[in-house]
Amino acid sequence: MTDTKVTRRNAIKGVIAAGAVSSAGYLFRTNTVMGQSSAPGSVERLITLEVNGTTRRVDVMKQETLAMTLRYKLGLTGTKLGCDRAECGACTVLIDDVPHYSCSVLTHTARGKKIQTVEGLASADGKLHPVQQGVVEEQGFQCAFCMSGFLMATVGFLKTNPNPTRQEMAHGVSGNLCRCQDYDKILTALMRGAELSRSA
Amino acid sequence: MGIIEFAKSPWGQDVPIHIFFYLIYVAVIAGLTFFIGHVIWLRYFAKKEEFADSTPPGEVAKLPAEIKRHSLPARLFHWVQAGAMLTLLFSAFLPKVGVRFEWLQWHWIAGVVLTVSIVFHIIHASFFMNFWSIWPDKIDIEDAGRRWKRSQGEKAPAPRRFGKYPMENKMYHLAIVLAGLSVTLTGFFMLFRIRTPLFTRNSYMFGDMTNGLMYTLHGLAGVGLIALIMIHVYFALRPEKLKISRSMVYGTIKREHYAEHHDPKRWVAEAE
Amino acid sequence: MAVIRDVMPAFELFQPATIDDALNLLDKHGSEAWVMAGGLDSFDWLKDRIKRPSVVVDLSQIKELTGVKEWNGGIEIGAMTTLTDVVRNPIVKEKFSILATGAESAASPQIRNQGTIGGNVSQDTRCWYYRSGWKCYRAGGNTCFADTPTAINREHAIMGASRCVAVNPSDSAPALIALDAKMVIRNKSGERVVDAENYFIGPALDIRRMTVLLPGDLLVAIRIPSTWAGAKFYFEKVRDRPVWDFPLVNIAAAMKVNGDNIESIRMAVNGVAAHPVRLTAVEASLVGKPRNAASADAAGQLAIQGAEPLRHNGYKVPLLRNLVKRAIRGVEEAKWA
Repeated sequence: MTDTKVTRRNAIKGVIAAGAVSSAGYLFRTNTVMGQSSAPGSVERLITLEVNGTTRRVDVMKQETLAMTLRYKLGLTGTKLGCDRAECGACTVLIDDVPHYSCSVLTHTARGKKIQTVEGLASADGKLHPVQQGVVEEQGFQCAFCMSGFLMATVGFLKTNPNPTRQEMAHGVSGNLCRCQDYDKILTALMRGAELSRSA
Repeated sequence: MGIIEFAKSPWGQDVPIHIFFYLIYVAVIAGLTFFIGHVIWLRYFAKKEEFADSTPPGEVAKLPAEIKRHSLPARLFHWVQAGAMLTLLFSAFLPKVGVRFEWLQWHWIAGVVLTVSIVFHIIHASFFMNFWSIWPDKIDIEDAGRRWKRSQGEKAPAPRRFGKYPMENKMYHLAIVLAGLSVTLTGFFMLFRIRTPLFTRNSYMFGDMTNGLMYTLHGLAGVGLIALIMIHVYFALRPEKLKISRSMVYGTIKREHYAEHHDPKRWVAEAE
Repeated sequence: MAVIRDVMPAFELFQPATIDDALNLLDKHGSEAWVMAGGLDSFDWLKDRIKRPSVVVDLSQIKELTGVKEWNGGIEIGAMTTLTDVVRNPIVKEKFSILATGAESAASPQIRNQGTIGGNVSQDTRCWYYRSGWKCYRAGGNTCFADTPTAINREHAIMGASRCVAVNPSDSAPALIALDAKMVIRNKSGERVVDAENYFIGPALDIRRMTVLLPGDLLVAIRIPSTWAGAKFYFEKVRDRPVWDFPLVNIAAAMKVNGDNIESIRMAVNGVAAHPVRLTAVEASLVGKPRNAASADAAGQLAIQGAEPLRHNGYKVPLLRNLVKRAIRGVEEAKWA
């Protein structure tokens, strides 16, 4: 036997129940941020990056490139912006040990990955990375705007080929340009860096 | 939304480049609306056709059974032109709605065929046919006014019988002439902008503005032709018009139809 | 173009984790959605404000799109596999080295570390009039700015032009065509497999696109059958600088020889037309012929039949002819005539 009559009492109970459900809704809406429904694959603004071994929380725009985030949000201005078009190499950083042009990586793509910039090369006590040491010893660069990019490209390259010939090294850092045209000295310095890396 | 799409020329000038392609759909919808409107009008509003005069039955019997309406060259021209026109419309608009094929070669070859057939028609109609039979004359315009008044329930004398072509045919021909000349003339100059075996390519005959206006006119006349051709096919296939439509295949109409609708003074009957 | 103007204009970014999610997004956003693989082609367009999509679907998080696996005796390469990973893959190196050579010749190390094989074959043309935002045929206008008496068209097409004279810049494309690769394309309604040769289309077919991909389509994998495994390969890319530059002309050939005779051959070139061109007539003319100077000469002549150079790219005609000769006879044997 069901009572289908709408009584005053039942109607009031119904209104109260509906109110409770709708006001408790926020507790269960885990996927909504500020009223924006999230489709699979949508990204959030506040993300965590692992830069030079440190975890950094950072608020990034969807269209922001890693170079912009590193320089202007995290203050890591050692990463230079030359062309901003993946054509010069000045912005090279390592992402999971692989050299990338940070001007051409969305910061969102680097979430959860290990990012290393030129600031992260020297150890905490100030001891230079062997490749940096090589550059110091051989005075590899003239104006050195391109230097941090070259350093990162070399460090990344040496991880895949620790004992390169000069020719192989040239190929390995061929994604970096030096407008001073100082390539000969740069290569000598980088080869010295490779040598120091092997003995380190 | 809008009619014409603009772009910046290298000199920083805003020039038209072509029409918006959604106008294709506007044209199709316009054609369909015309069908529906016309069917409704015929079904509920149209009055029976009446003419001021008629040929006595005795006279009708003296006419040839089949009366010549379109000569063989005229019929051939019509069908060549129809084939070229349909090829042009489909090759122009199918790619726009997502069908991929090498449309340009079909389009320009059909365009050349159409142009040649139109030139033939102009010469043929000017010197070998009764040139004035297709253009509206004073009687047509007077009769159109009478028909309008009668349809509004006003008093007006009954209209006279037609010449070779009823007023609607003449108006339709006029629209096709305007649209057809627009597409063929602009199309002819556009031929120079692509690689064909016909001429040395020269896309610099006109400036950006002239070119853009040409493309715009070509497009407007082109989508206009979609609606016009739809309307033409609709009328050709209407049951009461089939008596006329058959003359585009066989060349003749029946004498009874002739006697009822056509004035022997304005269109002298001839046997096949 | 190298002007830093600030960050790119805003867009909605999606980074789906599965192919299905990506396909749903592409289906939902239709032609509004910009599909981004490595992003190296995309960022130029976005940074220069030439193309301004409202939605970017970044495929970088889709694990199932990466990696090389064995397939039917051949291999299947996920579309998001980086060029570096293709180059370093042991099976590619051993059986299909021409693809490794082709992929290795693209761009710079950093770009290969990020650029993907799927992106490399699906990238847009480099015609600078088009990329600078001129409303040309390819951009939906009614003019080709590269085919005017004063145009700088040294890098443009010498064949297959239809109004637009842009060329396809991919280095892996001719290698894939020479290997009879199959492109696996998926959309919401299913999967289709297209021969590499037919994946690329010219302006006569669709002046606004370089490939058969339509909005909603996703290239998910490239399959290379075992047909040409271990064949004699030849790849050469001619360009102005040994790094970064796109090919002026490149050539890829796979050949099986029986004694001195050519038993079967596949040959494809890029940089000469809006799509990589498989030289079918040349292939047919070579089957059963001895691999000597006479066949190479005849093949070279045949390859340039119908070439229509523009004002500044006439050099591509002898370049193409000689590359065909070299592909048949090897670098040492070819004479620069």
